Amino acid sequence: MSSGNASSVLGLFDTADALMEAIPQVKAKNLGRLEAYTPYPIHGIDDALGLRRSPLGGMVLVMGILGAITAFVFQFWVSAVDYPIITGGKAPWSWEAFIPIIFEVTVLFATFTAGLGMLLLLNRLPLFGHPVLASDAIKAITRDRFALSIEAEGEGFDAAAAQAALAAAGATGIEVLIEPDRDPFLTSDYILRAAGGIFVSCVVAGLIMYGAVKLFPVLPPMSHMEDQPKLAAQKADPFFKDGFGMQEPVPGTVARGYLPLGVSSQEEAAALVNPLPTTPAVLAEGKRLFHIRCELCHGPLANGTPTLTAAYGAKPANLQSEQIRNYPDGKIFWVITMGKNAMPSHAADLTVDQRWAIVHYVRALQRAQNATDADVKAAEAR
Amino acid sequence: MRSDAASIPSTLPERLVEPPLTEGTVTPGSLDDQVLAFPDRRPPLKWYLALAVTLTCLAIGLVFMGITVYDGIGTWGNNSPVFWGFGIINFVFWVGIGHAGTLISAILFLFRKRWRNAIARFAEAMTIFAVMCAGLFPLLHVGRPWLAFWLFPYPNQRALWVNFRSPLIWDVFAVSTYFSVSLMFWYLGLVPDLASMRDRTTSKLRKTIYTVLSLGWRGAASHWQHYEKAYLLLAGLATGLVLSVHSVVSFDFATSVVPAWHMTIFPPYFVAGAIFAGFAMVVMVLVVVRETMDLKNLITLRHLEVMNKVILGMSCLMGYAYFMEGFTAWYSQNTYLEHNFINFISGTYGWAGWLTICCNIFVPQLLWFRKCRTSYFWMILVSIGVTIGMWFERFSIIVISLHQDYMPSAWRVYKPTIVDLGILLGSFGLFFTLVLIFARVLPVIATTEVKGILPDAQPSHHGDGHE
Repeated sequence: MSSGNASSVLGLFDTADALMEAIPQVKAKNLGRLEAYTPYPIHGIDDALGLRRSPLGGMVLVMGILGAITAFVFQFWVSAVDYPIITGGKAPWSWEAFIPIIFEVTVLFATFTAGLGMLLLLNRLPLFGHPVLASDAIKAITRDRFALSIEAEGEGFDAAAAQAALAAAGATGIEVLIEPDRDPFLTSDYILRAAGGIFVSCVVAGLIMYGAVKLFPVLPPMSHMEDQPKLAAQKADPFFKDGFGMQEPVPGTVARGYLPLGVSSQEEAAALVNPLPTTPAVLAEGKRLFHIRCELCHGPLANGTPTLTAAYGAKPANLQSEQIRNYPDGKIFWVITMGKNAMPSHAADLTVDQRWAIVHYVRALQRAQNATDADVKAAEAR
Repeated sequence: MRSDAASIPSTLPERLVEPPLTEGTVTPGSLDDQVLAFPDRRPPLKWYLALAVTLTCLAIGLVFMGITVYDGIGTWGNNSPVFWGFGIINFVFWVGIGHAGTLISAILFLFRKRWRNAIARFAEAMTIFAVMCAGLFPLLHVGRPWLAFWLFPYPNQRALWVNFRSPLIWDVFAVSTYFSVSLMFWYLGLVPDLASMRDRTTSKLRKTIYTVLSLGWRGAASHWQHYEKAYLLLAGLATGLVLSVHSVVSFDFATSVVPAWHMTIFPPYFVAGAIFAGFAMVVMVLVVVRETMDLKNLITLRHLEVMNKVILGMSCLMGYAYFMEGFTAWYSQNTYLEHNFINFISGTYGWAGWLTICCNIFVPQLLWFRKCRTSYFWMILVSIGVTIGMWFERFSIIVISLHQDYMPSAWRVYKPTIVDLGILLGSFGLFFTLVLIFARVLPVIATTEVKGILPDAQPSHHGDGHE
């Protein structure tokens, strides 16, 4: 075998003892860097080969501290700055509660540094193209034999001398390993197929996730709370003869708090008498309700000059007119209850007593706007 | 220490000589032929039968999980005031089972207990499977499992964050960290073994799979150096973790104000219980593995005996914890605690309390006898007893405290439904299905680690092979 492009020369030993004895012998010949391949870790081989101490401990320490700081700062920012909600009576800045997660994140960072840092960074794995993996010796190495290899460093590697040195140290099955032109395991064809497979898997997984996330929050499968054995509005029901789910009330049904007035026209309503006394409380309530319900159209003085006239096509009635001032209370009450011309009914907005209170207030407004000398004197006398 | 090895007299008194960790003649090669050959062999009929049983259990569980997801968790027995029923009982139970693996792989590694090497791999695998089973229950209990990622703090359009003061969020972090770290630890141990399998398998498909999984591991001394360092660091980290995980789980209870939950003894009490239950499960499974996979020379009776001693020690700790519950109830003069303890031994669920005490305290006392520690019949009996006892311990803790708390008008008797029981069965099905598959496709014994402790494995001038 040509030794021109040899990457290393490797020999096998049967026991760990034989390997350890061979190392100083071969090392003394100074043919190149020594590396051992063993089925399990051998104590003391680091010193024999002159390996430097593993820097993993320092890396793990740094990343562990980083994990602790990350967890602490993140929890502080979330709990005390971005989303300071007090729960369980604890202040946003209750650092004691952050300790368990700080510990867990520290361990998480440290573990991944130790595991992946060892495999990927320090040992530079995965590497499928290393010449040792293609050698005949690898089956013995991962089983029960111990290999010592002299690694080529630069141009002046003397493979023949290396073979001789290993043989002199008692090695068997000596092989010259050639740096492979291409990765025997990861061929370009294989990489293409693997990449294609990963791409397709990612697309499929992405589509499934998209569908799931899109669909499920709006279509929760357990919507049984919506399927209740009750009668929904506008639905048929065979229980009733006419098949309607919604039934008209029985004729003569009186709603609570809505006693019939017993009148059917404005003329008849003239006979109604305002049941409320004229007290300051009633007038104040009437004023409040007039302000809410009447003032927009009839104006604050009830004279038909409102703020909305320009925008409002119809002309609201002037409650200060001669005609309305002469209305009996019942007629005004009737108009509020039933509406008139463009004015809608306020029966749904105002209770009977509220309507009567408004009537009292309208009367007060009418009297204030059309005061006589007698009224003024009476007011002055008080 | 290595340098002191020369000063140790060459003839030790017989009682100080450590018996060999394996029986018969075991060489690295014979070890590979024995342990790593399983994937290349056709599984025996009994393996298929066992798989059929576990898959049936899993299928039943899946049906009931489907019912839970479709109909909602109203199908479970949980209702006011026992909002935490089977879901949390099973979660705590399974997380506890997982603790044995980490204890064996991490704590015993730090203590240089070399007998751990033969059983560490299986125990670690059981940890991972048990944590998977445990994770199932909170996932189902959230009601909409596909939205479970809301448990993690991530920036979202709703501008909401999780509550870092809640023990339930600590749990999310603790259990997910525990799973990741256990998986990393397990995988790290597997890498050299997978390389051995890569180099001995005859099937092209398996060779490809093992090649990828072993990352091209070639056993270089410079790699082993970093590897051993990483393993040591991981063991140290996992040691802290194994003590923290069940402590955090116990915080779910201890930080609440429910009577008999609000106790400082809970974290150590839970950790001891977890190791107790975990070891029982490991003993149970290892006895079966040892017999059916013909590994009697590697997993010796001595291994089982040592594990039984751990079970006995933990049982005594549990006895102390139960005694302290009663003592605290009496000494505190707290009516609610007293009421709770009386419920534990004589209430509606008094039977569960006594089952817990008998299975966890009385039955393991058999292990004081060497005959029981080394007899399959007795150790299996004790292990099954402990597993049942530890399940009912969690049942007692959760249900007894909740079903009669401070307000008598809210008291109510809790009954699990068929859905609860079906999912519990399904979790056992999942666990043993994974165990069975693991036993056929991956090395059940950490061959690399066992090779390192065989006689004459280490260079003689570096001590007597002891590390």
